[in-house]
Amino acid sequence: MVRPRSTILIAILASTGALAVAATAFAASLSMNGGSLGMAAISTPRCTAAGLGVVHNLSGLTVISVTVSNLPAGCGNATLQVTVNNQVTSSSGSAAVPAGGGSVTVTLGVAVAISAVAETDLVLIGP
Amino acid sequence: MSPALRVVAAAVVMVFASIAIRSGFAASLNLSSQAFTPYRTCVLSGTPATTTAASDASVRQGSATSNFGTQTTNNIATQSGLNRRLYIRFDLTQCVPAIPASATVRLATLRMYLTVLPAVCRTVDVFRATASWTEAAITWNNQPFGTAINNPASGSAVDTFDVGTPVGCENRTANVYNTGLVVTVDVAAFVAGTANNGWRLRGDVEGSATAYTQTWSAKDLGTASQAPQLVITYVTVP
Repeated sequence: MVRPRSTILIAILASTGALAVAATAFAASLSMNGGSLGMAAISTPRCTAAGLGVVHNLSGLTVISVTVSNLPAGCGNATLQVTVNNQVTSSSGSAAVPAGGGSVTVTLGVAVAISAVAETDLVLIGP
Repeated sequence: MSPALRVVAAAVVMVFASIAIRSGFAASLNLSSQAFTPYRTCVLSGTPATTTAASDASVRQGSATSNFGTQTTNNIATQSGLNRRLYIRFDLTQCVPAIPASATVRLATLRMYLTVLPAVCRTVDVFRATASWTEAAITWNNQPFGTAINNPASGSAVDTFDVGTPVGCENRTANVYNTGLVVTVDVAAFVAGTANNGWRLRGDVEGSATAYTQTWSAKDLGTASQAPQLVITYVTVP
């Protein structure tokens, strides 16, 4: 059977409309979970809000690793990423947090010269 | 192209666009649903000796008009007529990136390299300095808290820690950084806008008949591995 063109057009438009509705439905689901990207950032689950101790471990006049302490058991098995930036050199490393928390020493990829001011960023991913 | 084919082509484009949009949202959703705990730390060190990031100076009752801001050691001593106190300050404005006033300070620790400690366990009191002072001019006589012994009262200290060789003392080993010196509340206040005049450390009981002295490496020693440090861990989103 050969359908008239108008029928084909109606079918296509209906399909397109359905897809648009489907896309809207996905957006609505996103709103329910996060509301907005900003809200999603605030509600992001975190394994700790405790104060973490940070000690730069030296070799001569450079920082070669960073020991992070006070990690609670809730952060066990998370990946700890550490970046040290002395405004000249930036170096990173990562290590797994022990299952029971505690402390972990992260070795930097490149040693960073000691300076009066050093920024150290910590990011716990997971568990 | 026939009108019908043009419509079909347009519909196909819309389908792909719709899928692409949905995929983009889904990727964002997956990323934000993962546990993600970011911290930022500013480490201020008294190195090199010429840095203005840190200031430290002891004041001596026995040399009440002299300044000791360029000494290579910092001392606290308790002895009648010969007490010594330590003033130390870190310039938080030198942190890069700057710590926002709205940041939440999770932990701030003062680290000093202990070199001489007494044979008995002695308590050291830490007070937030409430008036300005400079490394090059501070003396016993012009120190912010005045010259009265055991003033202010120990009960108003923001933190205390113990130093001495006996078993059970909090810091009982020489040639390591001391532990237990937490100044989170003060640093949070400094970040929020309170004037930062640093801290005054003194023996918990000044004026003792027997001399007790604790010594730390000073900024002016110029040894990076022993430089005094302030380690501030904070978050910008609570």
